[in-house]
Parts: sequence; C-alpha cells; structure tokens
Amino acid sequence: MGIAPILAVTQPAFWPLTLILFLPAIVAGILALPLIPRGKDDSIRWVGLATTIVVFVLSLWMAVPAIFGTGSAGQFTVGEAGMQAVVDQPWIPAFNINYLLGVDGISMPLVLLTTFLSVLAAAASWPIEKHVRPYWILFLLLETGMIGVFVSLDFFLFYVFWEVMLLPMYFLIGIWGGPRREYAAIKFFLYTLAGSVLMLLAILMLYFASDVGTLSDEQLIASHVVSPVLEGAERTAALTAIHSAHDAGKPVHTFNILALAAIGQSQNSPFAATSFWGMTLESWAFLLLLIGFVIKVPVVPVHTWLPDAHVEAPTPISMILAGVLLKLGGYGIIRICYPICPGAGLSFAWLVCGLGVVSMVYGAFAALAQKDFKRMVAYSSVSHMGYVMLGLGVWSAVDGHGYQWDAWAQGVNGAMFQMLAHGISSAGMFFMVGVLYDRVHHRNLEEFGGIFNRMPLYASLAVAIFFAGLGLPGMCGFIGEVLVTLSSWNYSRLLAVCSAFTVILTAAYILWAIQRVYLGAEYKGPHGDHLTPMTRRELAIAVPLVVLAVVFGVAPQLIFNYVTPTVNRQVETLAEWTRGHDGASAPAGAAASTDPEKAEFQAAIDSFSVGGGR
Amino acid sequence: MDLESLLPTLLGLAWLLPLASFAVILFAGPRLGDHGKGAAGVATAAIVGSFVLSLMAFISWVAQHPVHAVAHDDHGGAHASADGSHGSPASHDSASSHDSHGSESAHRTVDEGAGHAGPPVSYSGDWYTLYEGGRLRLTIGWYVDALTVLMFVMITFIATCIHVYASGYMHDELHDITDHEVHLADGSHLHRPGRFHRFFQALSLFCFSMLGIVIAGNLAMVFIFWELVGICSWFLIGFYYERKSASNAANKAFIVNRIGDFGMLIGLMALWGALGTLHFADSTGLDGQARPGLFSLVRPPVAGHAQWVPDGMVKFAAAEKVGAVLRSYPQDPRAGVEQVEAKVEDWRDEGYGRWLLLVAGLGIFCGCIGKSAQFPLFVWLPDAMEGPTPVSALVHSATMVAAGVYLVGRFYPVLTPDALLVIAYVGAITLLIAASIALVANDIKRVLAYSTVSQLGYMMLALGVGGWLAGLFHLVTHAFFKSLLFLCSGSVIHACHTNDMRKMGGLAKVMPWTSGTMLVGCLAIIGAGVPFLDIGLSGYYSKDSILAQALLFARENPSHSILFYAVAGGAMLTAFYMFRLWFMTFAGQPRDHHVHEHAHESPPVMTYPLVALSVLAVVAGWTLPGGFGIANLIDQARPAGTGGTELGGLLFRAFTVPAEHASHAHDIHVTASLTAFATAASGVLLAAAMYVWRVIPPAVVATAAKPLYTFLANRWYFDEIYRFLFVLPVLGISRLVSATDTGVIDKFIEGLAWGAKQVAGFDAWLDRTLIDGLVNGTANATWHAGLELKKLQTGQLRQYVMFIALGTVAIFILAGLLLHSSFAG
Repeated sequence: MGIAPILAVTQPAFWPLTLILFLPAIVAGILALPLIPRGKDDSIRWVGLATTIVVFVLSLWMAVPAIFGTGSAGQFTVGEAGMQAVVDQPWIPAFNINYLLGVDGISMPLVLLTTFLSVLAAAASWPIEKHVRPYWILFLLLETGMIGVFVSLDFFLFYVFWEVMLLPMYFLIGIWGGPRREYAAIKFFLYTLAGSVLMLLAILMLYFASDVGTLSDEQLIASHVVSPVLEGAERTAALTAIHSAHDAGKPVHTFNILALAAIGQSQNSPFAATSFWGMTLESWAFLLLLIGFVIKVPVVPVHTWLPDAHVEAPTPISMILAGVLLKLGGYGIIRICYPICPGAGLSFAWLVCGLGVVSMVYGAFAALAQKDFKRMVAYSSVSHMGYVMLGLGVWSAVDGHGYQWDAWAQGVNGAMFQMLAHGISSAGMFFMVGVLYDRVHHRNLEEFGGIFNRMPLYASLAVAIFFAGLGLPGMCGFIGEVLVTLSSWNYSRLLAVCSAFTVILTAAYILWAIQRVYLGAEYKGPHGDHLTPMTRRELAIAVPLVVLAVVFGVAPQLIFNYVTPTVNRQVETLAEWTRGHDGASAPAGAAASTDPEKAEFQAAIDSFSVGGGR
Repeated sequence: MDLESLLPTLLGLAWLLPLASFAVILFAGPRLGDHGKGAAGVATAAIVGSFVLSLMAFISWVAQHPVHAVAHDDHGGAHASADGSHGSPASHDSASSHDSHGSESAHRTVDEGAGHAGPPVSYSGDWYTLYEGGRLRLTIGWYVDALTVLMFVMITFIATCIHVYASGYMHDELHDITDHEVHLADGSHLHRPGRFHRFFQALSLFCFSMLGIVIAGNLAMVFIFWELVGICSWFLIGFYYERKSASNAANKAFIVNRIGDFGMLIGLMALWGALGTLHFADSTGLDGQARPGLFSLVRPPVAGHAQWVPDGMVKFAAAEKVGAVLRSYPQDPRAGVEQVEAKVEDWRDEGYGRWLLLVAGLGIFCGCIGKSAQFPLFVWLPDAMEGPTPVSALVHSATMVAAGVYLVGRFYPVLTPDALLVIAYVGAITLLIAASIALVANDIKRVLAYSTVSQLGYMMLALGVGGWLAGLFHLVTHAFFKSLLFLCSGSVIHACHTNDMRKMGGLAKVMPWTSGTMLVGCLAIIGAGVPFLDIGLSGYYSKDSILAQALLFARENPSHSILFYAVAGGAMLTAFYMFRLWFMTFAGQPRDHHVHEHAHESPPVMTYPLVALSVLAVVAGWTLPGGFGIANLIDQARPAGTGGTELGGLLFRAFTVPAEHASHAHDIHVTASLTAFATAASGVLLAAAMYVWRVIPPAVVATAAKPLYTFLANRWYFDEIYRFLFVLPVLGISRLVSATDTGVIDKFIEGLAWGAKQVAGFDAWLDRTLIDGLVNGTANATWHAGLELKKLQTGQLRQYVMFIALGTVAIFILAGLLLHSSFAG
C-alpha cells in the first residue's frame, strides 16, 4: 500500500489510535463470522475479554508513557495542554469530512476510563448465557462507539460514533434486559434519538455558517485544517487555496471541531452575526447541542430514561451506561458547546448551572424515595452528574481582580474529576447491586438486611464503594464535589447554597440504603441460602474499583496532571474572550455615554503616535 | 533539628501511626493473634507511640518557649519573652513562624487590651497538594502552635488510656457472642462471631482522623478530617450493627452532622470564593509566591491585628461596582484593576463585605454546632451512646465532640463580635436544655451524654463572651474528667450488665476503685475547690474563668446578663445531676439484689486507666509556681489581636466583647468563684437531700411537677418535633419527586411515543396500500428477506427502528435543504 509507512512517520499516532478505536469493531466483525462453532460460548467470552484487555493495554501504553519507559512517538505527553496524537486523513473530501482524531488532557483520561471499564464490564458479562455471540458483538461495537466519540475531532465523525453507540446499547438493553426491557430500551432510544436529531441540526447549522477562510494561517495550522505536517510549498499551496476561495466569495465549510471553535471565538464570529427568530445562530446551536448532550448526562427533566434503562439493563451494561455513557454528555458540553459557542455559553451559563443544581437536588430526593436498590443507585447518578453540569457552567470570570479565570477553572476541573470519579464509583455501585441480584434475584431494599454477616468481604467492598458515592474524603467522590461546590459560590450564592444542601440528602439516601441492605441481624428476603461469598471473578472486578476509588481520593493529582493543563488553557482562553466580549458589548446606555470618550481616547492615541512618527 | 522542622516531623508521625495501625488491622485483622486479640496490641502500640512522639514535641516546645504566667498586668510580656526565646526567623519556604517582636511592639496600639495583640508563635507549612489552579490551592498541611501540641498530648494520652481499658472491656468480642438485645424472626437471640479487631481498627482510624483535625493547616483539611471522624463515629456507634437502635443512631449522628456541614460548606465557600485561600497562616504557593492566610487577611499586621473586612470580601460584596469600574476601562484592563484597588478602602468604610465575614464565621460555626452537639443539632449525641462505652469516652466526650469547640477557638480571629454573640447564646441555650434533661435521665450513660452536651455549651458560651482561653482551658480539663466519668460508668455497666441507675445503688462497697475515681470525676466536673485559697480540682479553674468572663460580659452589656445567669444556673444543675448519678449508683442500699450480687470490681486493665485519668482530673488545672500550667500554655497560642475589647452591632444592638484579661480583676474573680462555690454546693446538697438523706423523696417531686417532669423525661420532645418538622416533609418531598417522574414526565413521554406510533401506523398503512401496490415484486422480495431477518430480532422493536431511522434521514435532508437555502440566500 505504501501509505502505512508514511503515516507512521508523519502521524505516529495513526496506528495506535486507530487500533484502539477499531480493534473492538474488527473483533466484533470476526466474531460475526462462523469461525467459532456453536456451543463454544466460553471461547467467545475469552475472545471478547482478551480484546478489551488488549485495547486497555494499548490505551495505557498511549496515556501513561511512564509505565512503558520513555515516551515514544505517538504516546501522550502528560502535562501538555494542547491536542496531541492528531490523526488526519481525508474521508469524504466533497464535504470536507475528515478522519480527524486526537486526544488532549480532557479526552485522554476519558478514553482510559472507557477502556478500563470495558475490561471490567467484559468480566462482569460472564453470567450472560442468552445469545452469547450477538451479545459480545454488540458489546465490542459499543466500545468502539464510545472511544470514537472521545477521540473524534471531526464533528461529522463524532456524530457517526454517537449513533454507532446508540444502536448496540438499544439492543443490549432490549434483548438482554429484565422483564420490562422493551419499554426501557425504546424509552432510551427515543430520548437519545431526539437528542441526536437536534444535535444533527446544530451540526449542519454550524457547518453551513462556517468559513475557515476567515481564520489566520496560524489558526488554520493549529486547528489541523491545514496539516502541520505539510511543509514549504505544499503548506503555502493549501493555505492559498483556502484564502483564495474565501476571497472569491466561496466559503470553505468545515466539520473540524478545532476550527469551529477558532471561528466561534473569533472577534467577528459568523455564528454570532447571523440570527433568526430572535436569536443568534450561536444560541440556537448551543441550545440544540445542549439538549442533545444533557439528555445523555442526564439532567432533570429529561432523565427518566435512566432509571428504567438501568433497572432493566444487565449488570455489565449498567456499569458501562453509568460509567461511560453519561460522561459523553459532559464531554460534549466541555469539548463542543463552550468552545464553539462562547457567546451563547456565557448567556446560558445560568441555564447549565441551574439544570445541574436542579438535577442534584431532584435526583437526591428521588433516590431517597426508591424501593428498588438499582433505581436508587440510578437516581444517585442523576444527582452526581448534576455536579458535573454545575462545575462546567460556573462562568465567573469577573471578580475583584479583573477577569480571573481560576474560580471557573476550578469548577471545570472539578467537573472533569467528578466525571472520572463517578465513572469509578457508579460502575462499582451498579456492580455491587448486580452481585446481590445474581444471588437472590430481587432488588427490593426492604427485603435485604444482615448481608454484612452473611458476606463480610463483599459487604466491606460494597460499603467502601458506596462511601465513595457519599463523597467521603479519602475517596474519589469527595474531590470533585468539593471543588465544584466551592467554585459555585462566585457564580451564584443561591445555587451554591442549594448544591451544599445536597450533601445532607446524599448522606441520607446512601446511609439509609446501607443500613437496610448490609446492616441488621438477618436477611429478610427470598433465596437466603444463595448468599454465597464473592467468586474470584467478582473480586477481580470489585477490588480494582475500590482501590481506584481510594487512590483517586488520596492522590487526585494523578487525574489533575492530565486534566488541569488543558482545562486551564481552555478556561483562560474563554475568560480572555469574556473580557473582550464584556468590553465590546457594554450596556447600550453606558455605551452611548462612553463612546465619545472612547473616540476621544482613540484620537489622543492616534495623534500621539502620529506625532511620535514625525 | 530546630523546632520548625522537628515539630511537623514529630506530630506528623504521631498523626500517621494510628493510620498504619488501621491498615495493618484492616488487612491482617483476624489473623493477629488468637481471634484477632493482637489487634488491641497493634492499636495500643501505635497510640502509645503517638503519645510518646507528642510528648517529645511537647517537651521540645516547652524547652524553647518557656511557659510563664498570664501577663494580664504586663501588656504583652508573656509573648515578648516567648518570642524572644524563639531563634531565627522563618527561612524555610513553607514555614511562617512569626518572629515579630518588633512589629508586635510597633503595632501595639489597638486599645487597652492590646497586650495580646502580637501574633503567637506558630509553625505552618504544606505536605501535599490536592488541587492547584491559578491562585487557588487546596493542601494537606500543618499549623502547629502551643494549642496544637497540647491537644496532641491530651488526645493521645486519653486515647492510650482508653485503648488499654477497651482491651479489657471488649474481651467478650474475642469469642462467639450471643447478643441478647437482638431478637431474630424465630424468637431466638442473635449468635455471632466476635469482632474484637474491627473495634480497634475503627478506633485507630478515629485517632488518625482526630489528630488530623488538630494538626490541620487549613480549613479544607479540617473539613476532610471532620468528615472522616464523622464516618469513624458512624462505624463505632453502629458497632453492634445488628441492633436496629445502633444503626439508627449511627445514621442519625452522621446525617445530623451533615446538616451542620451544610452550613460549614457555606462558610468555606464564603471564604474561598472571596479570599481564595483557606490556610490559617501565610503560605507559599507552588509558584513561589507568598499568599497571606486567613488570620493575616482578617487581622492584618498593618491594622495592628485589629479585625477588618479583608479586601477580597469587600470586592466580592461590591462586585457590581467592581464590574462597572472594570468595564469603564475596556482598552486598559490594568488601569481598571488599579482603579478597583484604589477604591477598596472607601468600599470597606461603606461597610461592604461585613455581612460576608459574618456569614463565613457563622457558617463555620454551623459545622461546630453539629460536631459539638449544640442546640439545635445536639439530638444525635445521646443516641450515640449505643456505641460501646470506651467509644463514648473517647469519641463522644473527650475528643471528637470537642473538635467543634477547638475549631471555634482555632478560627477565633475570623469570628466577628456578632458571630461570637450568636455562639454565646447557642452555648447558653444548649447548656440549659441539656442540663435540664440530665436531671431526670435514668440511663447512666445518657446522664453523662447530656452532661457532655451541657459542658460543650459552657465552652461555646465562654468562647462567645470573649473567653478564648477559658473555653479552650475547659475543653482540656473537661476531656480528662469526662472520659474518666465515662470509663467509670463503663466499669459499672461491665459489672452490672445494665445502664439503668434505678437498678443500681450501694455499689461503692463492691467497686471501691470505680466509685472512688468516679467521685473524683464528679468533683472535678462541678468545679470543686476552695474559693479563697484558690485551690481545687481541674474543673474549678476552668469553670471559674468561664464564670468570671461571663460576669464581665454581663457587666459590660447589662442587656445580655442572662448569659451569666445561664452559666451560674447551669453550674447548679450540673452539681445536682452529677451527684444524683453518683448517689444513685454507689450510695445507699442496693435497689436490685440480683444486679448487686453479680457486681464486682473490674480487672486492673480497666481500673489503672481510671486512676491515671483521675490524677489528671485533679491536677490538669493547676499552675505550678513559676507559671507552668495548661492555662498559660494555651495562652501562648492566643491569636493575634483577640485579647482586646471588640465592638459588635451588625445583628444585635451595639455591644462590646470585653478583653479576657480584665476578667482576672479581683472583684470579678472573687464574685465568680463565690458564685461557683455557692451554686455547686447547693446542687450537691439538694442531690444529697433527695437521694441520700431522703428528706425530699424524688418521687414526690416528680408527681408534684408532673408536667415538667414528663416534658424533661421526653427530652423536650425534640426528636418528635424534628421528625414532624423535617424528617417527614423530606420523605414526603422525595415521594412527590419520585411520583412526578413516573406520573408526569413519563406519562408525557409515553404520550409522545403513542402519538409517534399512530403516525408510524398511518405511514405503514400508506406503504402497504399505495407503494406496495406499485412495486409489488420488489416488496415480495423484501418480504422474504424480512422474514429471514426477523429471526435475528424480537418482533416489535424492528418497526420502531425502521421508522425512526426513516424519520432521521428525512429530517436530515429537510434540514440540510432548508438551512442551505437560508444561508445561501
């Protein structure tokens, strides 16, 4: 072919990233072939598990060079803010759609979380006996979809993976779920589809309004519209082509997320210029995208798919759903909504924060009322993901020191941490519920009790992971919650107080559940004789989750080392943008009074410089 | 090694040793000796190690900073000499020991009370960074001053006693146990294996967490360990988790504490949001830049350590003005910022930020209300007595519940006079309510629990009326005699197998050591002493200083003189209920012969700690000739600028918080100690009259004041009121929220889905009749293919997917066309 060696030199991350992304899908395709005969279900399971492990090791090789010796080309450099390991190949040139991948401090940890949880979920899939082959095919396809969303830098590609993820999930719930699986699966599908349709609208709006010709040469190269790999004449030619098309009045549209962000943050953003039905295009796009993403998060009031999906989904799918899928919404907001539509982000910050706080409080109240163990955990996810929304939204760039970004950066860092921490703790909680359900086949909170004495090791691990959900210091849940809560004060006192109030409810529903399930003198439900100790396989899933919950709680910098540089840079940029925005669009009355002054000031400067030149 | 690096090392190790013990017991647990018996050894060794290290720190502190008499007649004398003996100024980047003899005298201009205006000697720094972004930094670090060192010695000493005691008290847990309080469904009692090692595991984790609060260098770290002691308390209260009452009490304790933490979070946010730091002392960021801490922000050296609203809070409160100024310099942001800085002074004078500082102080105090069981959140502490008695002695009397008082003392410089007055009133209400309930309680541990609540109220009141030293002094002396009292009650319970004092009586003969040491504890808590010779047990000194300060406060502010009467009345109630307890338990004739026959003195492993603690309960308050004593040691840590008179009047009408040294004036002191003596004596006499001489039979009193008795016996109905006001509404809201999900949102979504299905059905009908007619052949082929495909799937779902996919494509095309035309045009 010849292209492979060239790529290996110019885009060293091409093969690693592509392999991480597509290996699960390829294996899924191989499994679809009748290579493994019927009845050899265990072989299929082992192939599936091995695939997830290989992908995890690959992503570990990429994300944590320290483990594998010094970093070689294609590996991730921890502590660097910018986009790394960029892969750029034309895909559908007619519409400027590219196979554009890359990772930075925001997406790399999420990719790692995805591959890690996939391994655990694969191990948790052993008890699934029904239609083993299709299950594993869909499971692996799902993994590709999830990774794809996190690494795509092309909006169209992003959307494709978003949809790729949706269908396997639908079938995994709808076929391998509990008694009301069809209802839950369709609800999940309809909600998410509604979100993706709106997202698609926004994508097209942005695409047709974009014109990379307005960007400077540096921006074009930085955002990979023109590959930085190109040198000399090739580069000049590519740049000239774009600029001449622009000058000729033919806009060059783009799906490139980085380029869209550069356009959105530019002084005369076309997204802010055009408006229809009373709102700028930017605002429309922001709202449509936001709806698409918050359905996934999910926030109240578009959250009701979540409890049903969780209750019906089999344990490993619940782990993936809570651990990874919910993070896609938060990721979309931080990667797409804010950078591309900063103006709308600023004016709708209250909406994002408000939705977050409503979810926190509402989810916690709802969790308190649940009788079903798994439903209770599902509502706790709604509440915990509210922190993510609040942290992402606290756009408090102005304070007494000018346009300071640090309170806001703290919120976004906290939100990112919360996403990763919740990935660990919620997956753990769902797994712990699953362990019990596998034994006694019910989840009624009123019919447990005394599990501590029956299964001491299991109960200790479970209580530990529930404490992580409780936000206990020393466990991963604490850091994100406290950072977000502390940062919210500068944005809004009211929201801050409401978010602080949530800690009471959280303690109440988690401790009450622990009391009803694990404490007490004796088990009150059916199948008491099935309460056998955890198997080794189950321990192999539970122990890493508990260990990570403690490690991230004690050493949060393991995560912050990745996240903070990128988040800080993005927030700094947007805070700087806010300053320009505030200065430019002072209230109409004030503008009228200051305009003559401004003109005078400008005139003074002009005359000075002219005089100096003379 | 100089003190600056020695102290963090010693205390850091003392802090971490119990954590190591926790880890060892967690993993090795039952394999440590016979049935985990070795766990007690591991935990005890760790805490003894901590005690030795703390003692070394204490000795090196005292060697460097000799303890002198409180210098109330010699302004600043004590501090001048303490500072003078402290050598070189801070050179280490992380330390901020204030060698500021010079600046102290330079700024000793606040008012007559400025004798204590200078900053105390302290060492601080950071071990570990949890988060850093921009100016903001959350760390794990230390703040060590005389108070820290003293608290370390106190906590590790009491914990050592209790570890030894518990290895005897908990020996039942070494083998299988039948828990007679738990009835199983089949009517039998619960039979379970012992969990001796689990007890010591939790105890070790608790010691680690508690020491973490004390050594904490910033409020975030305090909050972290605040929560950790909470969860340790949850484990220990719920140690007998098979008992419903125990797990209920554990949950109640944690959740009620979280209500306090809710307020604390608001306080933290108010400080963090406006000031960007939670460090007590000045610190250095990772970028090498100096960052002032809370103490010097709120009481800056340039203002002579007088309290003011820090710049950050002024700007925060004046945010709109700040924004307007900044916006008026769109071209030159730097000039805008300079303009803001120039206006801060004016804004401060206009009063911006005063409320914020008050909110910050009261918020942090909310956390203390929860942890130190103050009104209105004290209801968890009596229930916490479900835990084993050594836990009650350590966690729920001497250390954890005192953490709230400690934090108020530590945070004192930031508290405004109005916040202090709120604290004083909360303390007064608490001490009276709790003491009144203790009068009629019959459970020996609950009497002590209410007594603890009441004494904590004393400490809060003392801090609130300006008695910083008095409150913290009482915290230390109370820790010794209250843990002693609890251990004695544990010894009684161990002997009698009941908590009910109505079944006891006449135990003094069979339990001489227990009754003797408990008498010492009772005398200490009522503050027994001889007023004119000025000699007494430890409680005498600390209680007198509280009374004196309250009296001073009442004289300065006659409208608040109720605070003094609360203290005096509380002293009488204390004396009554403590001696009621002692008389009912040890004096007179046995009430229940069955109990009495089986009673026996506890083994030496339990009585030795009693003796050790009773010695301290006697001497802890003494000041040796030359000035060495706990009170003077604590005074070395007096926060800069807090010894003077302060004016308040934001929440209340104008009032003054008097300088503490003024309470040493002769007439105040004499009046206070005579009041203390009179109230205590009358309380003891009344108890004797009712329970020993029987001139006033208790039953007669109970019937004569029946409504009052019932009211008190039901603990003022607090639990019932809270259940009605808070618990039920919260549960109601949660059910409503859950019903909204299934009844409103889901119904709406299902309605939409139903509509879509109808449209899809119509669409399908069109397909079948119209299109199929045209392309019959193709349809046939599709039909057969469909039949094959159907086997892969489960019926109904397929239709949805198809129609939804079709819909998507249609919208895609439509939207594309529409938008393209609109933008092209």
